[in-house]
Parts: sequence; structure tokens; C-alpha cells
Amino acid sequence: MSRYSRRTFLKVAGATAVVVACAPAAQQGGASPSQAKGLTGTITVSYPDELGVKPKYVDMAAQAVMSKNSGSTVKIDLQKVSDDIYYTKLLLTLQSGDVPDVFHFGGDSISELADAGYIEPLDSYVNAWADWKQYPDSIKKGATYKGKIWAIPYGLDTRWLYFRRDDLQKAGLPADWTPSKLSDVIAAATAVKSKVSTVTPYALYAGQAAATGARDHAFVPLVWAYGGEMQTSDGKWVGNSAAIRKALAYYQTVYGQGLSPKEILTTTKPWTAMRAKLGDGSLALLFEGGWVYGGWASKDQAGTQKNVGYLLHPTENGGPSFTIGGLGTCWYLTAKSKNKDLAWEWIKTWNNKDTVAKINIEDPHPVARTDSADVPEFKAQQYLVDSTKSLEKARFLSPDASLSKVTTVIQKATGRVASGDSTPDDAAKQYSADLKQAIGASLVVDQ
Amino acid sequence: MRSGDAQSPLRFVSPAGRALYPRDVVARNSPYLLGVTPAALLLTLFFIGPALWAVYSSLTNLALVGIDAANPRFVGQDNYARLFQDPDFWTVIRNSVTFVLGSAVIGQFVLGLSLAVLIDHAERRGWRLATLAYAAVLLAWVNPTLIAGYLWSAMFDFFFGSLNHVFLSAIGVGPVDWLGSFPMPSVIIANVWRGTAFTMIIFLGALKTIPPDIYEAARIDGANAWRRFWDHTLPSLRPIAALTLLSITMATFGTFILIQTLTNGGPNIATETIALYAYQTAFQSYAIGYGSAIAVVMLGLNLIFAVFYLRWSRARA
Repeated sequence: MSRYSRRTFLKVAGATAVVVACAPAAQQGGASPSQAKGLTGTITVSYPDELGVKPKYVDMAAQAVMSKNSGSTVKIDLQKVSDDIYYTKLLLTLQSGDVPDVFHFGGDSISELADAGYIEPLDSYVNAWADWKQYPDSIKKGATYKGKIWAIPYGLDTRWLYFRRDDLQKAGLPADWTPSKLSDVIAAATAVKSKVSTVTPYALYAGQAAATGARDHAFVPLVWAYGGEMQTSDGKWVGNSAAIRKALAYYQTVYGQGLSPKEILTTTKPWTAMRAKLGDGSLALLFEGGWVYGGWASKDQAGTQKNVGYLLHPTENGGPSFTIGGLGTCWYLTAKSKNKDLAWEWIKTWNNKDTVAKINIEDPHPVARTDSADVPEFKAQQYLVDSTKSLEKARFLSPDASLSKVTTVIQKATGRVASGDSTPDDAAKQYSADLKQAIGASLVVDQ
Repeated sequence: MRSGDAQSPLRFVSPAGRALYPRDVVARNSPYLLGVTPAALLLTLFFIGPALWAVYSSLTNLALVGIDAANPRFVGQDNYARLFQDPDFWTVIRNSVTFVLGSAVIGQFVLGLSLAVLIDHAERRGWRLATLAYAAVLLAWVNPTLIAGYLWSAMFDFFFGSLNHVFLSAIGVGPVDWLGSFPMPSVIIANVWRGTAFTMIIFLGALKTIPPDIYEAARIDGANAWRRFWDHTLPSLRPIAALTLLSITMATFGTFILIQTLTNGGPNIATETIALYAYQTAFQSYAIGYGSAIAVVMLGLNLIFAVFYLRWSRARA
């Protein structure tokens, strides 16, 4: 390059740099504070989405915030990845410091996010928000950790024991099959195995591949069905107990008798295959999330209504059946946000009565706001009414900072028994030892 | 660069044979030193730096979530003590060694060498199909590991896999739970398929450097094909073999995407290798400190392999 051209190049580059550096400031200053009404500044809303349901509601809320606050800009960071991939990326971002102002993730992470100092308590905001009274106390309690509110849920999680009426009928069971105790589930699966060879009888999630399914859709409901506890009232985790041994023995029966396919242990995202199989009738029994029903119904509404039954989880001796509740996904405000008021404005705007009702009709979940359950379109959906009602029988895992580590330990214990590598007693002992190692012996008690 | 003699590689000598003092060495080699500086800096930044960071964080309870994320502290050798008491850890080490021996040392190496010899043989005779075979093997290699994982997943899958539903059903055999009943052989086969091309390419290049007249002379002496391979081809390939083994061993030790896609380490921990274990600990249980301790042990194991191969290669050279 000649001397002349290099100098010219440097001049042009310098000028460009100045223009580029000034540009964002010029854009942000487009509406000066004196002209703008309401809140000003810029926030970033980050969320994962694979289904394609959320984006229009997110955009709608963003538009609403920007038109109400003319000096504000809401940037949307949509990540089309699964929740688990999103979470890892999000955590690394939260540690690095260049954080979004608002993000979207499951409510069972409240405690570990709060303890890490990533999220902002919302008490002062919700106390000044008239709509907060629409949230039932049980939900407020679910969003509370160490005495503070940390996240705003909108669609709650419930779970069902799904069963195929057509498959059970072929196995000689009634179409309105209702198990009165836990052993009835094994009896039904055994009947399917012996009489309907083309159908997989039962899917019981186990092992690491099953992710949180091994916890919420299998191990935890089993421990509760056998009358045990996951945690004591003072927050310690139960390591080895009669109920935990019984739950693991249930795994041994189910896998030992070939009632549940061992492929669950090795298939990537085994829930994808199991949900598809229950939907097409090649699987007879499955305890799964309430949100799965919508996928089947959208493919075949009439067939699903006719053939897919849903029930609460039975208990060992015929005590009241129950379900596992969850806060579902929530909106969080980051502690490092530089514009917390505008971020809250966005969260508040999203969580209006109509959006909460509509998104939960599209992606079926019980609604977090009581007034959203009164929206006529919501009330017209029997499944959603049943789901919302099921939460009266729901039990919740308490928010706990050790949950991720405990989940890994549960996956290992269930995997050991399901693969036939351990007896239930040995696996229960190892479960206790693994828990002590993972979260500290002082936080674990054997009963 | 002026090289030292074979016995003392660090003793620099001038062209006249006079020993050089360090200052002279620096002065005489300054253009070269200047040349290697950017590379050295980059290596320090991207290789030595992270390795040192891993050693440091393995001595802390650093985490991505919870109180430990807000207030990480130095825990000394706690993570290592915990690791060596972890009953799964020894299974994981055994799995890693089986996976490396099965898929790299035996599978990729032997198959890669065989393919290279066959293709070289075919090329020397001008057979056009050699190029086709070369391209087919190469295709497996140019796929990203994730795609390769999904391809094999689509074949092995019990419910929808083509191996069961196309091939076995065509011959009237019921479905086989490949990944559940034969997890380690399955992931080894997938990794051999994926990685053989690398070894093949290296050996094909090395085979081209062997002068054809050696074979001509051997043939005149009456040596058959096997003797020519054993007495001439193999010894010529030994130095490159050590380096190839070193790279595929290290790459295989670090592989986890393929296993993660196929079995996610299951059933139970039957295919959990050390790299996958480190990843799951650090990014699924979010325990960065403990995950780093596993990574440091992995680094140590790799170093042992590296020293072994390099010594072997020098001895042969």
C-alpha cells in the first residue's frame, strides 16, 4: 500500500469509527427525556422458544411498553434452542456481566438464581401492582424464597398419569380405568404386556438421559406415593428412607418385568419418543406434564379426546391421589439490569389478564392469574379447566438452591436400578452417599 | 535455526563448532524468535492460560448457580479428594480407556491403515474406484460430530432406527436394543466410522513417500505382498504412526458430543467417558470447580499418553 493511500485509509477509518461510536447515542437520544412520556432507556428481553407460540406475545408486550413509554426501546433476544441449552448460555452470560434485563426460565430455578445474586427481588414492584391480588397465595408462596418474591409465573405446571383407553380395553380393562392404588398401575401394565404385544405397556423415566423427567415425572411422585418426603420440614434432603427404598423397588419391578423400555436410559431426550408413542397409541401408560396433552390434541383433537385419559397419581394404599405442581416458566428481572423500572414495566405488561389466558390456551397450562381462568375461551376448554382444578391436589417441591445437584443424584439412583446394576437397597444407600457428597452431609438426613 | 547435536539439543553451536552463550543465541536467532513470538503468545493465551485456569478453579468451589456462584472460595484439594472417592469416577476412567483403545487405537488406526494401503495399492494400479472409496471415507469425516451423532442415532434407535426397521425387519429379525444392550460397542463403531478418514489421509500421504523401487527390489527378491508390507511398508510408517496415534488418542479422549448424542453416557454410566463426565458436572450440575478437577485429571491422563507415544516414536526414529 502506498504512503498516500495508507493515510487516506486511516482518515476514512477514523471518521467511520467516530460515526459508528456516535450512532447508538444518537439513536437513543431520538426522543429526549423532556419530549418523552413515561419511562425511558433501553432494555433487553431474552427468552428461549422452540414451539413458536411465545414470540407474538413477547412482541405485543414490547410494542405496548414502547408506545406507552415513547422514550423507551425494548430489544428482543429470542433464542431458538431448548430450555436446557438456553439455561447454560444464560448462566454464562449472567456471570460475564453483559446481562439481559429480563429473562424467561423455569420457576424451579428461583433459589439457585437468587443465591447466586443474579436476580432482583420483586417485592417493591409487586406491592405497588394492583393485579398482584389476582395471584393465589399458593403461587405467591411458590415464587417466594428467603421471604422475597423473585419471579412472576404465568402458566403453571401440572402432571397427569395418561393412559390409552383403547390399549387398556384390548388388555381387558375398562375404558374408564381408575387405579385406586399404585399397584393397580403395575397390574394394568402387566395386562397390556401379556395381552397386547404390539404396545409398550408403560414408560417410567430414569437415568441421566431423562433429565428432570426422572425427578418430576417418576421418582418424586413415587416417593410421595409411598408416603415419604423428599425434604424434611427444616429443609434437609432425605437420603435413605423406607419410601425411597420402595420407590426404587418400584423401578426394579417395572424394569425387571420389562414393563418400561430400557431404551429410556439411552435414547436422547427419551420423552420425545414416549410422548409420540402415547399419542399414537403404541404406549399405554405415562406420567407426564400437563402441557404434553396440547401436542396430541393439536394433531388429532377427536382421537385424543376419545382415547387419551388423564388421572392423578395414585398412592401406595389408596390414599388421596395427587399431582406434582410447578411454577412453570417465569419472567425474571436481573440484578445487574441498568433499567429495572422499565424491565418491570415489561414484565407487568406481559402478565396481563388476556395474554395469560391466551398463551395458556395455545400452549395448554393452568393459568397463574385467577381472573384469566374466567376468560370465556379458557373456560370453554374442558382440559384446561380440569388442569387448573388439579392444582388443588398438587404438591410442590420447595424452592431449594441444591435442586440441580439433587436432580443429578436422582438420575443416577434411578438409572442404577433401572439398568439392573443395583438393588433398590444398595441404590438407596448410594443415593444417600451421593447426596452427602454433592450438597454436604449436614444437609442430608437418613430416616 | 541452528540446531544442537542429537545428544544435547539445547547446546547451540556456531557454524565453526564453537559453543554459543545464551546471549549470542538470542542475538543470532532474534529474527526467528520474533517470528515465533505471536504463535507463542497465542498458544499461551488459548492453551496454557485455560489449562492454568482449570487447575486454579479445580481448587475452588466455583459454580454457575447458588451461593457458591456469588461467593466462590478456595477449597484446596477437596475436589480431588471427592473425585477419588467417587465410585463412578473409576468406572468413567475404565470407560474412557476402553473407548480410546477400541475406537482410536484399534478401530481408527487399524482400519485407517488398512484403507490407506488398499487405496494406495488401487491408485498405483490406476483403478478409478479408489477415488470413490477415498471420497466415501472422507464424507464421514467432513460431517460435524453432532450430525454424525444424529446419523448414528437414526440408525441405532430402538423405536425408529433404520438398523432395526429397515435391515433387521427385512430379514425377519425382531428389533435389537443396540444402545441399551451393546452401548460401548455401538459408540465405538460410530466413532470409528467418524474418525477413520483422518488416519487414512495421514497414512496415504506417508505411503506416497515410500519410493516404489524398494518394492520393485523386494519383488525381484521374491518377497510376497505380505512380506513387502511387513518388511518395508510398516517400518517406513512407524514415525508417522506414533504421531497419528498421539493425535487420535487425544482427540478421542476429548470427544463427548458423539456419545452425548447417542447415549448421553447411559445406560446408567456404561458409556460415560471422562470428557462427558467433566461436561455434565460443569454445565449440567453447574459445579465448575469440581468439573475442572475432572478436566485436570483428564489433562494428566493425556500427558501420560503423549509422553508414552513421543518416547516410542523417538525410540523408533
